[in-house]
Amino acid sequence: MTAIIITVSATSQFTKASLQASGLTCSMCSKAVKVALEKVSFVQEVKVDIKSQEYSIVFKENADTDFDLLKKAVEDAGFSVASLKVTGNFSELSVSKDKHVQIAGKNFHFLNGNNQVLNGENTFTIVDKNFLSAKDYKKQSASSKMECVQTGKAGSCCSQEGISADARVYHVKV
Amino acid sequence: MKTKKYFLIAFLLTVIGNVVKAQQEIPNIADPRLDFTVVDIKGDSIKLSSLKGKVLLIDFWASWCGPCRSSNKQLVKLYSKYKDSGFEIFGISLDEEIKDWKKAVAKDKISWLQGIDDRGWDAMTAMKWNVQALPASFLVNKNGDVVAIDLEKNELESKVKELLGF
Repeated sequence: MTAIIITVSATSQFTKASLQASGLTCSMCSKAVKVALEKVSFVQEVKVDIKSQEYSIVFKENADTDFDLLKKAVEDAGFSVASLKVTGNFSELSVSKDKHVQIAGKNFHFLNGNNQVLNGENTFTIVDKNFLSAKDYKKQSASSKMECVQTGKAGSCCSQEGISADARVYHVKV
Repeated sequence: MKTKKYFLIAFLLTVIGNVVKAQQEIPNIADPRLDFTVVDIKGDSIKLSSLKGKVLLIDFWASWCGPCRSSNKQLVKLYSKYKDSGFEIFGISLDEEIKDWKKAVAKDKISWLQGIDDRGWDAMTAMKWNVQALPASFLVNKNGDVVAIDLEKNELESKVKELLGF
């Protein structure tokens, strides 16, 4: 089991993301979100797609992709994240509901999936609190009874899998 | 005590220096750092500095910017009221799709000078004028000096009247 996890971390990498921001005013009408995202250490490039109202973010190669920093950048710019979809290249990544996996050094908890094995480019939606609208979060978080869905921390959810209680766990859907 | 005095003098010099600097730094449309040329709907060039002598509103906007579109409605009224008295508006759209821009110009019935810099937030015109959010507008007097930024419609009208000498 451990061996599989290590293989996954070594060969899987997140490469890009698409993010939607929301706020009281027109988020696309302000340069603030783009500028803030460009300043995040692992971000290579940010493009604004007016049609889809999305920010297309390309990550630096083999960078430590810490998605909480994207959220923080948007919030510091005075807006909030309405949607974050992250794309990466994966090799023999097996996902199933309520299973925790390590990808590129981060812990992920899949809220769906039926033992499928992912290879090549795949996109996940992050469904943690404040990564989507409050309404959508309520809906998504109801799909698992495990407490880490509420806190974003491992807690007692996955101590059996060797993940420490205070470790960050990203909750995602395929 | 003496040190305190020196500090005070140094402080005053800094303040005076900044005030003098601020006076020198009133942006003027003839400044090559601020000047630009964009193409209008017919494909003709419009050069900002050539508009010196008018009371001018430089207006950055885009078709996808909701607040800009409602501002256009106000500007249509203002423009028809004062265009014959020496008031001009120079709209610069940051639209990346030229057809979206043309559609919006037609729909909002824009008849003032209108050009496009089709590179969104990477547009050189927006960078030169340090535009951080849309809409962004700059009111310029007959000497080409920028006298106000982002005025609300009533403030804008009274300032335009003042600059036209009403």
